[in-house]
Parts: sequence; C-alpha cells; structure tokens
Amino acid sequence: MGDMPGVFPKDPKWEGDGSSRIPFWAYTDEALYKKELERFFYQGHWCYVGLEAEIPNPGDFKRTVVGERSVIMVRDTDGGINVVENVCAHRGMQFCRKRHGNQTEFVCPYHQWNYSLKGDLQGVPFRRGVKQDGRVQGGMPKEFNTGEHGLTRLKVATRGGVVFASFDHGIEPLEDFLGPDILHYFDRLFNGRKLTILGYNRQRIPGNWKLMQENIKDPYHPGLLHTWFITYGLWRADNKSQLIMDAQYRHAAMISTRGSGGARSEVTAGVTSFKESMEIQDKRLLDIVPEPWWQGPTAVMMTLFPSVIFQQQVNSVSTRHIQPNGTGSFDFVWTHFGFEDDTPEMTERRLIQANLFGPAGFVSADDGEVIEFSQSGFEQKPFHRALAELGGYDCGNTDHMVTETLIRGMYHYWRKVMEV
Amino acid sequence: MAENWIDVSAEDEVPQEDVIGVEAHGRDIALYGVEGQVYASDGICTHGHARLCDGFLDGFEIECPLHQGTFDIRNGRAMCAPVTEDIRVYPVKIEGGRVFVDLG
Repeated sequence: MGDMPGVFPKDPKWEGDGSSRIPFWAYTDEALYKKELERFFYQGHWCYVGLEAEIPNPGDFKRTVVGERSVIMVRDTDGGINVVENVCAHRGMQFCRKRHGNQTEFVCPYHQWNYSLKGDLQGVPFRRGVKQDGRVQGGMPKEFNTGEHGLTRLKVATRGGVVFASFDHGIEPLEDFLGPDILHYFDRLFNGRKLTILGYNRQRIPGNWKLMQENIKDPYHPGLLHTWFITYGLWRADNKSQLIMDAQYRHAAMISTRGSGGARSEVTAGVTSFKESMEIQDKRLLDIVPEPWWQGPTAVMMTLFPSVIFQQQVNSVSTRHIQPNGTGSFDFVWTHFGFEDDTPEMTERRLIQANLFGPAGFVSADDGEVIEFSQSGFEQKPFHRALAELGGYDCGNTDHMVTETLIRGMYHYWRKVMEV
Repeated sequence: MAENWIDVSAEDEVPQEDVIGVEAHGRDIALYGVEGQVYASDGICTHGHARLCDGFLDGFEIECPLHQGTFDIRNGRAMCAPVTEDIRVYPVKIEGGRVFVDLG
C-alpha cells in the first residue's frame, strides 16, 4: 500500500489557504452538498426565481425552485408578487404540479386545504366537523388558528423585471447583495423596459451545480472547446475584454467587445480550428446589430452566485437558472427574452441567435458534455484536485481573458462560507 | 319571469336556526329557518363542490363545511374568502303547512 492516498478520503481537508486547487470531493461529497444548500441557497443569498413578464396578470403563477425546494412565484389580486413554498401546511404535500397557470387560489388535492394567492390558509374541510343525526362529529380543535398554518412565504426582491426570493427574511437588500459593479451590468441589461418572453429550454446536466457557475467564469475554454465559435471567427484574440467581480468574489461579469477586423485577419491564426472555407448561410446567427443599451460590449456574461446566469451574447439575451438536485446533477432552465420595444426583425434575430444556446445549442451543447465528463473524472478519484492557475494564484479583476481568476474568486468565497 | 312554485317540504321539517337539504326538480336546495322565517338557496357552494346543508348557520350566514366561505342567506351575497361568487336564493312561501320555493 505504501504512500498510496485513499481514493475516498475519510476526513477530506483542503490543503493550504488558496483557491487555485479545488479538491474533487468538493463536487462529490454528500454532506458538503447539503451544507451548500443550507448556506448558499437557503440562507443569506438571493436566488433567482423568474421574470415578472412570466406572470403579468393576477393569478398567474410559475412553479420553480430555490435550491432543491419547490416554490411558486405568483401574482396576487393586488398585483403584488409572492413566492410561497410548494408544500401544504397540512401533510406536507407538494400540491402544485403545473409548471405555469392561472388560478384564483391554491388547493391541495389531498384534503383540499385552500390557500389565497399570498399563501394564507383560507379554508379547511370539515374544520367544524360533520353533522350526523343532530350531532356534530369530529373537526379541528377549537383553538386551531388558520393564521398559523399558511404556506411558507419567502422574502421577495424585484429589480428591472427580475424576481429574486430568499427563505432568509433577514437577508441584505438585493442591491447590496450584488454590489455596485455587478449592479451596473445588471441594470445595463434590465434597464426598466418591459421584458417579453420568447421561450424556454430545459435540460438536466449530470454534473455538480458549481461546474455551471465555473463554466461561465472561465474565459479560457470558449476559444478552445467551442469550435463553432472559432470556425466562424466569433471568439478572437483581439476581443477587448474585462473580468470583474463583486467585493466578495462570488458574482462576476465577463465583458467583451468583438474586434472589428475582418474574419480572415491574423487574429484567429493562433486558434487551431478556424476554417476559412466554411461560411454560414444565415448571417443573422452571428453578425452584429448593435443596440443602444449595450454601451459598447457585444457580450456580457454575468454569474450571480449561486443560482443564475444572465446572458447577453450579441443580440441573444437570456436567464439561465441553476437548479441543483444532488451532488452530481442539476437542471438548467433557460428563459429567452426580448424587450417590448423590439421590432419584429429584432425578435426574429434574438430567436435565431438563441440557436447557439440551450441543450442542443451550436455552442452550449459542448458545455453540457464537458460538465458531465468533469463530474465523471471527479467521481473516480475524489482524493485528487482540479487546477485553476491560469493567470496566477490570486483573485482580482483583469482586462484580459487569459486567466482563471473568476474561478479562484468563487472558491475563495466558497471556502469562507463553507468553512472548509 | 314565470313563477314556478314547487312544494319542497313540510314547514315543521325546517329546523329553527339550522339548515336542511331538499331536492326540487333534480336541484339541490338548502332551506334555512331563522326567527320563524324560512329562506332558500342553491344547495351547492359556488366555490368547492360541497353541500351547504352540511354547513353551519350563524344568524343569517351559512358557512360552507369545506372551506369556511360564508353567504348571507337573505340575498345570497358571498361574504368572505374563499367564496367570491354569490349564491342564488329563491322566493319562499308557506301554504297549508307546506314550504313552496319559486324556481322561476
């Protein structure tokens, strides 16, 4: 046996105090995963639940999740947005099965307990018992108080048409949670115009949820993995770029502006798979129609820890919701949207460019696969570690893309909160 | 509207300060006795599918046994959540110890 390390470490320890070498067990350990749900998804963090445009009318609702907990985002009769947990106060059943709908109230089918759109318990069948031969039989105890048996309500924050929720009612304001630098890019995308919903993609990716965050904090891979980008000259060495984080390094924005040189110039020379002979038929897939709200950048990818990614890739804008369901699996839900003042041509352009993304996207299909195969690697030797040392060992903003600083930043934060 | 008086019950079968269910032409009707008067409404709640004759009468308000919505039996008005839709009420007359309800 000698110096062979145990493959499944009994008491895993993160050596040193850096964040550039990430132990594989950080992606596979069941107890750590539960702690992540507790500390990132259920306490102290705003989680994405949806867009206001998904529930425009009173009674409109959308079933979604915060972490692994099923919740319902619903517009009440006063026009307010509520997020309630999808667990009946009686016997704990997840009563809502529809993904979207419109209802005047929520009723658990099991015993018909009945709740208002704000989650208040309204009625309990046979609360006062059943009359039989002139006597009343059974019923709830006299002191039963419906006021104490509503659905669990989450704290809600909305900004620019985006809805966040938290089980933690003591949480800081959303704006403080994002910090000024990330808020700037958030407000750039969600600048007050009404959003329109163009459609959804849903996929289950067999990998740890953090890998999705890392994927969008990793500007190293796009020009190497995504041959589709390179083939059509979309990811180029002359892209002006910037990586920024919030003060705690948990959220990030990858900002880039596509260079104006011709596709055949030498800037793509260092990237191996550029194929000059291939040409795309529908140019709307990759040409640029600049929009005033961009203020320059042609792509800004925002990672908000832990639950969501906001995408602007040229004219394609979407939210991507990370919904973990175990150490080695998460659901990834894409909501493609547009703006109310879009022309029909712009809407069509956004839809065409959406073909790059989603489970079978020309680009994003690659990410689902590498995440799956990364997880497979982690699971076969959890004692080992991944390396994120491109650009050094520390965490900080940069004005180039040749660095894994954002991943190191995320794990710096992860170690602090997880006390690992 | 045409009158359509139906004999639904003996007067002394309608309990005071309480409710019974009867049937008239295949329709569920609830009869209420309050302060010597008889009142009639549809027997099925406008909210969940429940019979109001299984509910609880408190003054002029009938409370549905299922979700505790209430109606005023004099005019059918929905009084509290979760009921939002009024219930239909019917004219009542007493003749020869029988209760007649005008189904219209």
